[in-house]
Amino acid sequence: MITTEALTRGYDDGARGRVRVLDGVSLQVAAGEFLAVVGRSGSGKSTLLHVLGGLDSGFTGEVTVAGTRLSGLGDRALAKFRNESVGFVFQSFHLIQGLSALENVALPAAFAANDADEARAKEALARVGLGEKTERLPSQLSGGERQRVAIARSLFNKPRVLLCDEPTGNLDLQTADEVIGLFKSLNQDGLTIIAVTHEDRLRAAASRVLMLNDGRLAPHPDPLPRGGEGDR
Amino acid sequence: MRPNSLIKLVRLQLRRDRRGAFSSTFGIAMGIASLVFFVALGLGVGRVVREKIFPVDSRLVDVVPSQLAIGLFGGGKLTQDAVDRLAAIPGVERAYRKMSVRVPAVSLYDGDFFGRRLRMGIEVIAVGVDPDFVRADVKLGDFSDPGPGKPIPTIVSSRLLEIYNKTFAPARGLPQLSAQMLVGFSFPVDFNRSYVAVVAPGPVTSTQLQVAGLSERGVLAAATVPLDVAIRMNQAANVDAETFTGVSLQAASPSEVPTIVAAVKEMGLRVDDQDRRMSENAGAAVAITTSAMALLSALICLLAAFNIAHALSAAVRARERELGVMRAVGASQRDIFGLVLAEAVVLGVGGGVAGTLTALLAALGVDMLSARVLPQFPFKPDTFFLVPPWLPLLGVGLGVLAAVGGAWLPARRAAQVDPARVLAGQG
Repeated sequence: MITTEALTRGYDDGARGRVRVLDGVSLQVAAGEFLAVVGRSGSGKSTLLHVLGGLDSGFTGEVTVAGTRLSGLGDRALAKFRNESVGFVFQSFHLIQGLSALENVALPAAFAANDADEARAKEALARVGLGEKTERLPSQLSGGERQRVAIARSLFNKPRVLLCDEPTGNLDLQTADEVIGLFKSLNQDGLTIIAVTHEDRLRAAASRVLMLNDGRLAPHPDPLPRGGEGDR
Repeated sequence: MRPNSLIKLVRLQLRRDRRGAFSSTFGIAMGIASLVFFVALGLGVGRVVREKIFPVDSRLVDVVPSQLAIGLFGGGKLTQDAVDRLAAIPGVERAYRKMSVRVPAVSLYDGDFFGRRLRMGIEVIAVGVDPDFVRADVKLGDFSDPGPGKPIPTIVSSRLLEIYNKTFAPARGLPQLSAQMLVGFSFPVDFNRSYVAVVAPGPVTSTQLQVAGLSERGVLAAATVPLDVAIRMNQAANVDAETFTGVSLQAASPSEVPTIVAAVKEMGLRVDDQDRRMSENAGAAVAITTSAMALLSALICLLAAFNIAHALSAAVRARERELGVMRAVGASQRDIFGLVLAEAVVLGVGGGVAGTLTALLAALGVDMLSARVLPQFPFKPDTFFLVPPWLPLLGVGLGVLAAVGGAWLPARRAAQVDPARVLAGQG
């Protein structure tokens, strides 16, 4: 489902010169896998996610996601890829204030070539347990509900890969558990999930855990068994 | 991006930033209002100058004898031979002869004048013209010489009637007259008689002048009579009845006029273009004033564009994360660019429509105020404004142009927002 070879992403960092955030990363993720990527802050976890999701095209190396080779793709092709093949879930939910839950979920339809409609948005909201709150504005929803709306939005175009950037970072324990449960359920339905996280519970929900350190990926030295308790 | 989604997102943004949207729209509206107002005013005043004050037929060339007789063809006199040669100039469609009645004339009116008692004596100037020159405006009879002892058909200048109605009549307490009222009106005239000028040795001819119509081609301060009448009066007074005082050449098209003017000058004759020059000068003065005002208005539009640029730049900065989300769910740079420009288009259309309506209302107000407050004066129009169909469209179009121009850089900046940066971690 996902393959990277010699993936390198660097930034110019003033006095430090060129800094390699990702340094020759090679990664294979099978379809239906639930991969957790951990690492200290600034280790490049989010950058990896952005590259895999087509948000960051300034890399070198080979990246193929859901059958699409991202290396060298233009802006419009990348936009189409993001719209159709991947879904993003962010720590800060990033819902658009002023749009209802339903309208937020249907936002990808604004940029889609297909005829996705409101019914699909309702279906996605129902999938995350918010079928009754379609007309609520983000300000009228709890943190957990907002994240569910964000997840529903990421599922709207039925992506093949879900990319989650600290998805439980802003949630309380109970809500985080609910969201993690939702991810497990989605994964059991066949959705490939990659989550970067500091959250042991989420790490425990993953089928594989990798650690990003100094721009390189390696198996986590202490992976928790799937379904295990976190040490939070 | 889908049109309905675009509309929804544009509405959302404008709703969220009502104050900024109002400020931007107001700026454009003011610029467009002043632009439409002054352009309409310039066009309106220009029309009055062109059509009422100095009505110039663009196809007519007025030829008068040269003051110095040095022409190749027997000097600068307008004989019938000269008229024939003028008529033969390439591009000339018709040549209309004019001959002044070369003896003085007076009118002593003593009687009822449209319901008022009037006793007045005035000097009268009469000019004979080829009847076809004014035929289209003749409302009574066939405008030909009726022979001695019968009322002479006369064409009155429509500009003279305007001056009478707006200055002479109010000052003397005389009635306002319309063209319909004047047609058929007769007044006595004694040719070869004057209160002030030397008369010819011939007899005095007493007759009546009867108004047969009003025409812009009528001589302004004279009675325009059939050419044969002028010839007859001059013959009776034993003065020159052979040469003409002027010839109006009608060109086949306005583009032929310069060639005709050159040919006329080559024949040793003069072209009387005083009216044309006055019309052009007045038109140029109006055009310059209008252009200055339009430039000022364009400056206001430019300021409005800067205001939009500032407001949208701030809005784009505030919405970076939101724009990043849109990019994450499938928006291309072009989509984001289009979204911000679409917001500007809505502001531009709103400002353009509001400004145009404001200008039209202001024009209406000025016309109403003018009708009530300003005194009557010659050529005072019912409206000072001319609003051709393209003007409102221009107003709205310029509003959109100003808004889009102002939004261009912010839209580009919005399109270049790096989603990876604005969506990373907590932001």
